[in-house]
Amino acid sequence: MSGVIKAENLHKVYSETKIPVKALNGVNLEIMEGEFTAIVGPSGCGKTTLLNIIGGLDHPTMGNVLVANEDIANMKDGELIDFRLKNIGFVFQAYNLIPVLTTLENVEFIMLLQKQDKTQREKRSMELLEEMGIADKANMRPSELSGGQQQRVAVARALASKPKFILADEPTANLDSKSTENLLDIMAKMNKEENATFVFSTHDQRVIEKAKRIVTLEDGVIISDVKK
Amino acid sequence: MMILKIAWRNVWRSKGRSFVVMSSIVVGIWALIVGNGFMNGFMVGYMDEAINYDISNIQVHHPEFKQDFDINLSITDGLKKTEEIREWEGVEAVTTRTIVNGMIASTKKASGIQIRGIDKKRESEVTSLDSLIKEGAYFEGIKRNPIVIGAKLAENLKVKLRQKVVLTFNDSDGNITSAAFRVAGIVKSSSLNINERYAYVLQSDINTLLGIGDEIHEIAMLTSEGVHEGDILTKYNNTYSGDLVEDWKLIAPEMALMQEMYGSMLYVLMFIILTALIFGIINTMLMAVLERLKELGMLMAVGMNKLRVFIMILVETLSLAIISSPVGLFISFMTISYYRNVGVDLTNYSEGLEAFGYASILYPFVAQETYIVVTVGVIITSFLAAIYPAWKAVKLKPVEALHKI
Ligand SMILES: Nc1ncnc2c1ncn2[C@@H]1O[C@H](COP(=O)(O)OP(=O)(O)OP(=O)(O)O)[C@@H](O)[C@H]1O
Ligand SMILES: [Mg+2]
Repeated sequence: MSGVIKAENLHKVYSETKIPVKALNGVNLEIMEGEFTAIVGPSGCGKTTLLNIIGGLDHPTMGNVLVANEDIANMKDGELIDFRLKNIGFVFQAYNLIPVLTTLENVEFIMLLQKQDKTQREKRSMELLEEMGIADKANMRPSELSGGQQQRVAVARALASKPKFILADEPTANLDSKSTENLLDIMAKMNKEENATFVFSTHDQRVIEKAKRIVTLEDGVIISDVKK
Repeated sequence: MMILKIAWRNVWRSKGRSFVVMSSIVVGIWALIVGNGFMNGFMVGYMDEAINYDISNIQVHHPEFKQDFDINLSITDGLKKTEEIREWEGVEAVTTRTIVNGMIASTKKASGIQIRGIDKKRESEVTSLDSLIKEGAYFEGIKRNPIVIGAKLAENLKVKLRQKVVLTFNDSDGNITSAAFRVAGIVKSSSLNINERYAYVLQSDINTLLGIGDEIHEIAMLTSEGVHEGDILTKYNNTYSGDLVEDWKLIAPEMALMQEMYGSMLYVLMFIILTALIFGIINTMLMAVLERLKELGMLMAVGMNKLRVFIMILVETLSLAIISSPVGLFISFMTISYYRNVGVDLTNYSEGLEAFGYASILYPFVAQETYIVVTVGVIITSFLAAIYPAWKAVKLKPVEALHKI
């Protein structure tokens, strides 16, 4: 079986700055379907850069990225948007939700962009909100939810369209320890129940402990890759 | 569609700001329509006065008469033609005039004028001259040689009602002739001609003095509402030959020009106001975009394509125009309706205006199309104004906007 994500010899140099920064120096990484992977490492080691590239948000300076056997490294920006819509779920550290939509509408949003039909959309969204334990907040606006609840809505939205995998860059960075644990438990549960593939970065030791595979970066290279 | 929903709700997100833009759209529409209404009132007031009291719709002369007002150049069979024309469809009223340039003198002063010998009944049917009487009566109360003059002329000559003035002119043989007239009435009008350049006498009196029998120099017609003046001109030329027949646009080309100019004034005004509006809207929408960079970045990161982002910003902008346009139109409509009935009294400023021949009470009005033209203009403007901010949004790179995923 081949991986959903296959990154080969990724290099990334940020050259807009005065002194070019080598953020990635030859990263090879393959993520299999159903994995629950944490990308860890000290600040500035290239976690965000790596996630951006495998998520089709940024282009590598060199190397290939295959997602579901499609080479995304050389796709145009416009094609990438559609590709992301169809294949990748995202959970960001903050600013995940559309403030003018309700919780339920936010969860439906991706499916809506994908033009799925209404009954299906609503059914799936309500099920997910139920799984996340926030079904009672379906008609509230994001501003009425706690940070932890907002992140759960973001996870629900990412999962809703059943993407090939879900990327989360420090999804718990703004959460307290209880909410952090809660969010990770939910992610783990969905990984198990729906076989959803998660790749997330973190600094948090408790989060790292929940991961089933831990990829450690340092100065833009992978220094260890441990599967539990 | 969800994008419309998001856009619509975004409009209300920053209520104060949206309110400012919407108010400026309302004010812009109001200024345009009311401004146009006042201009229309101004122009029509002026034209109405000129046409109704002075020029009338159509005039007939001997082709060379107006070159130097030679009294021997009368209209052939003028009275007979007049009687026939009176029966024409589309002709409301017809009158005849004898016209001679001369001098008017009081005991104090003299002044060059145009003496107009009129048929008092027919004249009032065509030009309502009788309605302009401010003092005295319309050729009543004076037995011999009554004369009606303008208020300004009376003031210049320092003559009062019933006082004597002397008219001097050349008769048909070229002899200088003088005759005494007594002021029967004084007319007041915003028309310069009527106010100080004309002296009205009875046609029978002047014709006798001139020795021209029942010859006339001018036929003036008032056409019925909605009748195309050109049709009457054509009919006249087909029926009679050898006369010069003109409608008011030919008689007073400056008025036709003015009418045209005023027509384009709406567009000039629109251009100015909409240009101001466009910058206001661009500014606001740009703020709305810059404030939401992270959110827009997120939307594009999760798969909202450029077209959808563009449409969203466009709809947000257009919503502002679509909400505020009816309000602006309504307020404008109410303003125009109110002043249309009441009129705007310019008497305080009318000294200056009357000198130009403008009416001193202005009745603004707006053509129905103007409401449509202005609305379309405002919507196109906001559409254009949306393009730059929307383009800014579309150009965003999600990673940069979010800074980190
Ligand atoms: N847009 C950019 N322009 C220039 N340099 C950048 C840019 N983004 C990241 N870098 C640099 O690239 C390196 C890797 O950054 P990256 O954000 O991937 O690290 P990270 O592991 O996510 O760090 P953190 O844990 O602090 O989020 C850093 O040295 C950073 O300064
Ligand atoms: Mg990072």
